[in-house]
Amino acid sequence: MRRNRIIGVLLACVVIACSGALLAAKGVREELTGQSTIEQVLQRGVLRVGMSTFVPWAMNDKQGNLVGFEIDVARRLAQDMGVKVEFVPTKWSGILPALLTGKFDIIIGGMGITPERNLKVNFSMPYDYTGMSMVASTKLARGYKSLADFNRPNVTIAARIGTTAAASAKKYCPRAKLRLFDDESQAVQELLNGRVHALIASAPLPAFQALEYPDRLFLPFKESFTREPIGFAVVKGDVDTLNFLNNWITVVGAEGWLKERKTYWFETKQWKNLIE
Amino acid sequence: MVILGVLTAVAFWIAHRVRVDLRYNWDWEVIPQYLFRFDQDRGAWVPNLLAQGFLTTLRLSLWATLLATLMGTVMALFRISRSLFRRMVGRTYVELIRNMPPLVLVFIVYYFISDQFLRAVGIEGLLRSLGPGAREFLAHCCAPVPKLPVFAAAVVMLALYEGAYITEIVRAGIQSIEKGQWEASSAIGLTRWQQMRLVIFPQATARILPPLAGQVISTIKDSAIVSVISIQELTFQGLEIMSSTYRTFEIWITITAMYFMLTFACSLAVRRLEIAMQRR
Repeated sequence: MRRNRIIGVLLACVVIACSGALLAAKGVREELTGQSTIEQVLQRGVLRVGMSTFVPWAMNDKQGNLVGFEIDVARRLAQDMGVKVEFVPTKWSGILPALLTGKFDIIIGGMGITPERNLKVNFSMPYDYTGMSMVASTKLARGYKSLADFNRPNVTIAARIGTTAAASAKKYCPRAKLRLFDDESQAVQELLNGRVHALIASAPLPAFQALEYPDRLFLPFKESFTREPIGFAVVKGDVDTLNFLNNWITVVGAEGWLKERKTYWFETKQWKNLIE
Repeated sequence: MVILGVLTAVAFWIAHRVRVDLRYNWDWEVIPQYLFRFDQDRGAWVPNLLAQGFLTTLRLSLWATLLATLMGTVMALFRISRSLFRRMVGRTYVELIRNMPPLVLVFIVYYFISDQFLRAVGIEGLLRSLGPGAREFLAHCCAPVPKLPVFAAAVVMLALYEGAYITEIVRAGIQSIEKGQWEASSAIGLTRWQQMRLVIFPQATARILPPLAGQVISTIKDSAIVSVISIQELTFQGLEIMSSTYRTFEIWITITAMYFMLTFACSLAVRRLEIAMQRR
């Protein structure tokens, strides 16, 4: 009898302890869910998107509105979440610290997934791929045909600071001098002025520039020389948000919507009259 | 007249060299639409990006100047105070700010101070719960509600920076008043506060005004620096449009002209004020 009672008491203790642990675990999980970016966005009713101007990913049209591939993606994402979208134009060089200090919820700005960046932020699965390509000055680089031609000490290459273009310039043309600019427009101007031999940037920008100034610029080679996955960047330690984003990408990818938008912005020039 | 003529000739010559040497195709047609655009829905002309940026610069400079003048005056009084503690506070402030590059200050205020401070106050939730009337009011005189925290950080940073210089301007103005004025006003039985308010400060104001005007103009120009924390003022908007249109020279020239309009108007206003004060 007595032993039974002792066992009963012990059992009761175990049950209480277990349920306590369970309750605590539930509390932690609820807290995590409540603190996730996705939950806060839903509560606020506004998705704050960090981005930077990159033609044709994101740019200002004549009406002063933002347009572009990334803008379409962000608008659709917000629409599917049932919230409003708010764009926070940010300098590319400071976009990661701005995300980490909570100036916006997510970066939707054609950000290439790199191990180095991934140590600081979490990336969704890729929703787009881009590649680096090169446009060169006819005056300085006439007859150059491959990356090896540009990998010389007397060659200067321009790129935008903090981009994967700058990283790939260092990687593929380590011997060339590198000049970094805050914006692509400054880099293009430098190239047009004939002070740098070539500009490395995400396709299709080099091709567009070569089309626009056929007498001064040319494409040393047609195809892009890297292939980079593009993902959404969010702060670390937030599984719910990543799960939502990944599945959203799967869904709109399966619809063919991503591909259709990509074709519109990258392979046609129908949007050109929005800008000029 | 001669000077104007020479300036115009130089400008034309540079424009010509740019076109010939750099083979730059000038295209001014894209600029006006970024200043003002015709809104089909409302049937009226509304400011577009550049004009919006201009207004933001104006608001930014206005609030920063007001705050900086306030801070500068208080700190100047601290610096000439009889209390050692206040003198030390004033001195520390001036030396700390004046010996720091403004760009570094921008980043410190933006990433560390404003973020920690605003989160502690819980300002964002408060702002989002505001009624439409208050929102409209804030949008007109400061910045649209979602951008207000960043705007506030920029104003505080500019005010901190310019305040240090204004402190020295005000201090120099007060200390330049002859010692006899202090002694005379003390002899007729005024307290130190009354001496300052009734005798010293009115005389000092006339001496403070010209350098203060220079500092106000400086504030307007320095406000361009907050474009690095993505305040959508004139320089930032210009850079954004450059990224979209690649019309580098035209946009820089337009922006320069817009800053000049603002600062030159300030210069003229101060000149008027000085003349008015001398007459009195």
